[in-house]
This record gives sequence, structure tokens and C-alpha cells, in this order.
Amino acid sequence: MSSAARINGLAFLVLPSALLFALFFFLPIGLMAVMSLLTGNPVVAPHVDFTARHYARIINDPYYLEVIWTTIRIGLWTTLIALVIGYPLAHWMARIKSRAGHALLLMAVLTPMLTGIVVRTFAWMALLSDKGVVNQTLISSGLISQPLKLMYNETGIIIGLVHIYVPFMVLTLTGVIGRIDERLEQAAENLGASPARAFLEVTLPLSLPGILAGSLLVFALSISAYVTPILLGGFQIMTLPILIYQQISANFNIGFAAALGMVLLVVSLVLVIAYNRVLGLVSGQHGLQ
Amino acid sequence: MRATVSKSAPPAFSRQGNAVATTGTVRAAVAPKRYGRALYLAVNIAILIFLLAPIAIVVVFALNPTPFIQFPPVGISLRWFAKFFAARDFMHALGVSLEVAALTTICATVFGASAALAIARGNLPGAQLVLATMLSPLMLPAILTGLALFQAYVLLDVGRPMWGLVAGHTLLTIPYVVRTTLAVLHNFDLRLEEAARNLGASPARTFFEVTLPLIKPGVLAGAIFAFIVSFDQFPVSLFLVSPGSETLPIVLFNYLKFDLDGTIGAASVVSILLALLVVIALDRTVGLRTYVKL
Repeated sequence: MSSAARINGLAFLVLPSALLFALFFFLPIGLMAVMSLLTGNPVVAPHVDFTARHYARIINDPYYLEVIWTTIRIGLWTTLIALVIGYPLAHWMARIKSRAGHALLLMAVLTPMLTGIVVRTFAWMALLSDKGVVNQTLISSGLISQPLKLMYNETGIIIGLVHIYVPFMVLTLTGVIGRIDERLEQAAENLGASPARAFLEVTLPLSLPGILAGSLLVFALSISAYVTPILLGGFQIMTLPILIYQQISANFNIGFAAALGMVLLVVSLVLVIAYNRVLGLVSGQHGLQ
Repeated sequence: MRATVSKSAPPAFSRQGNAVATTGTVRAAVAPKRYGRALYLAVNIAILIFLLAPIAIVVVFALNPTPFIQFPPVGISLRWFAKFFAARDFMHALGVSLEVAALTTICATVFGASAALAIARGNLPGAQLVLATMLSPLMLPAILTGLALFQAYVLLDVGRPMWGLVAGHTLLTIPYVVRTTLAVLHNFDLRLEEAARNLGASPARTFFEVTLPLIKPGVLAGAIFAFIVSFDQFPVSLFLVSPGSETLPIVLFNYLKFDLDGTIGAASVVSILLALLVVIALDRTVGLRTYVKL
């Protein structure tokens, strides 16, 4: 219908944000795409050509492929563990009857989420270092004599990332599990299924979209993490975001950083679109709303 | 549809009702069921401990007087807080962070609330697309927003001004304001505005005396979110801060690379308290439930 004819004055209120997004979001990302295809900085260098060499460098050098694989591997482990840890809590949150109980659970999930990422990473350093809380407790209780290597390796990074991103998994799953009619489970139990079987054959399959959506989200978040991998990895482990920042801070290779950024951009976009599609299918509406 | 059905089901229909309905044949299964329930709770409590313990540890660490991590703690002191508040670099960074967060909150609230009004009320063609655009900074890794802005500033040769950092933060926080404001606008009774108009109020007066007060909780919640997100923001700041005026998370990060003493614990406690305040404020202003939607 002719909705355009009925535009009213309030519509113009979108202009400041539209301008901000055009200038500070789409233009810079467009520039990044262009820079990833240029031989140099067109502002400084007089002769600049189009080239695919930055992308060729990523594909042809095993080192960069290894970095990408490390990033993906850390992301996959983080996602898997976040799912295993997040599911029970999400189930509890979706099914708890008491309002106060629900509010408390929500606070327990949101408080870590709203605590700065540097602070949470620091907390894990205090817990996992050689002289950290976990090792001190284990040594003083006589269970081990040598400190366990819990950080400055991928294990530490994964533990930290799981903690940081599990709330996103919980909140996504809670939304989907909350939509599953509890009476389906009860019907299964009344027909003689054990609670475990009712869960495995009714609730779990019905919550698969939530599992998929939560996993896509956590994976997308964990492959773009910077602080946790660098601090808990002790500068030993190279992931894509660390590599991107290094190209800027140490090498000042803007073109190559842009190409690496484009790789991360494309992967994240695909994941996020998939996330929205899945959630959109569950809720029967557009997932972004 | 389904959700409304399950919500309207009387609570007695669930667990207890269930137990009553099950008769003799199922009684044998009650004991394992109880163990299952205990296991369920135990697992969940373990997960809650995993979520919250690190935050508790930071508090313990900040209050423990020893200069290294010691567990169990040996005492309580405020020396690390004293050191934190006396350290000029931390205080300067705290000042920068508060300044950036305040400016960001103002910009994001004005821009985001206006955009939300336009989306909900302006009869914009392609409102869905506009909404998706306004939420998109949340969908992209913030480190890419930082990288892209950094490159743009380098190409345009503008240096690393404060407004550049605030613009980056504003971009990342507008989605929160848009979302919280829209949530209120969607539950809005349009007849209130019609009533005001019918009683002779001008559109402007209706807006300022009816619409604005009614959407205030949503805008306020968005502003609170914007503040905390900006205060804790790391990846965009990493690319955009200028040397000498780093924000607190950047200074903490640089400190953490070399040192692991109680000062950082004290700094962390300050920021955790801020986060807690925000959660409570959100709960008080509009209730937490509205913001759980990701």
C-alpha cells in the first residue's frame, strides 16, 4: 500500500542515526574492503593499484592458515563446552516457577555479562596461573605436587571464553526452551517415560533450533575475541583477531590487516545471518526483533 | 501461541499435580525421580558457581593484603583500593572512561531513541531494514568496527581525536537504546496520544507531555546499557584511543600483561560494583525480563 505517502514528521528522526551509520560504519567498512584490494595507502603513495596479493598471502602461507585453524578450533571447543554447561541452566531458567528464583538466576547470568571483559579475564588469570587459586588449593590439599598447566595454553583460553560467552548461550536457549509446552514432557511422563527419557525424546529435539542458534552465536563471538586469547594464551597462541591487531600495531600493514578483517567479516556475517534465520524460524517472526 | 498456552496453565498442573496423578504403578519410579531432581539441581548449582566464582575471587583478591595471589586469603585490607585511587595513571584512565561513557550515553540515547521513534511511528518505508541496520553493530565483531574506523581515520588523516572514540562507542551502544525504546513503544497504548489530540493538544505538546514520559523507562534503560557498555568497551578502544588518554579497560589490560597484584583486583571490584548497580537499576526501572532477548 502507499505507506510512503503517509510518512510523518517522526520519520525524519531517523536521519541523525542514518548519517552516523553511513559515515562511521558503512563508509569505514567499505574503505576496509577497498584497502584489502590495494597495493598501498592511496593517501600517501602516489601509485596504487588493485591487487589480490593480500588474500593470496593468507591462502598460500601455511602460517596464516594455521592461525585461522587455531581460531576455529578454539571457537569449536568453546561452543561445545558452553552448550553443555549452558543447557541445564537454561532449562532451569525456562522452567523455574518462582518469580524471585527466576530473577535471581537472571541476575546470576547477567552480572558476569555486564562485568568488563578485562576484569573477567583477570579473574581467570588469578584462578588458573601456576600460583593461582586452583593450583594452590590442589597442591595444599596434596592432590598434586606440580602445578597444572592451566593457562598460557589453549585450555586456559577455552576456559576463559566459555565463562565469558556462556551467558549468551543460556539466554538464547532459555528463549527457545521457554516456548516448548511443558505439558508435552508431562504427557510423556504420564505415559510411562522416565523424566530422562521424556527430556531426551521430547524437550531436547524440540530445543534443537535453540542449540543451533546459541552455538552459532557463541562460535561467532569466540572467534572474534581478543583480550582473553591474548592474556590467557600468554602471547603464545595466535588467533585471527590477535593477528589483525598485530598487523596494525607492529607491522602497520593496513592492507593485509584489512584482508584479514574481511575474512573475519564474511565468516561472522554468515554465522549471524544463520543465527537470525534459525531464531526467526522458531519464533515465527524476524529474529532481530 | 504455544507460549501463552503454557503460561496460562495453572502451576498446580506441573510437578505436584503430576505426582498426585501418578498412581501405584509409578510409585517405584519416585525414588529415582528424586535423585534425578537432586542431580539436576546439583549440576545447575555447580554451573552457577562456575559463573559467579571468578567474580567472587576478584573481590577476595582485592581485599587480601598480600601482594600476590593467596588462597585461602589471610586477612582483609583496603590497601589495594587505596593504591588504586592514589595511582595517577588509573585515576586518569578512570576519568577518561567516565568522560567517554558520559558523552557516548548522551549521543547514543538521543540518536537511538529518535531512530526508534522513527521506526515505530514514522511509517518509514523499509522500517525493518532500518531496524536491522541500527542493530547491526551488535552483529559484527567489535574488533572489526575498531579496525574499520581506525583505517578510515588514518586514510582521512584525522589523528585519534576523542570524538572519533566517542563515535565508535556511540555506534556500538545505539542498538541497546533502539531495542529498549522499541520494546516500550510496542507496548504503547496509541489511544493515549489520540486522547491528548482530541482534547486539543498540538502534536508537539502531545509528544512532550504524553509520548515522551511514557517511553522514558525504555530510553532510560537504554541509556544505562549504553553507559556500562561504553565503560567496559575494549576492542574499539584498543584501536582508537590516543596514547596518554587511554580508557580504564585499556590501562588495566596493559597492566595485566606484566603485573598481577591486588591493585587490579581493586580496579575490577570498582567496575563489578558498577555492573551490579546497573543490573539493579535496570531491574528497578523496567524489569530485567525485557532485556533478555538477544
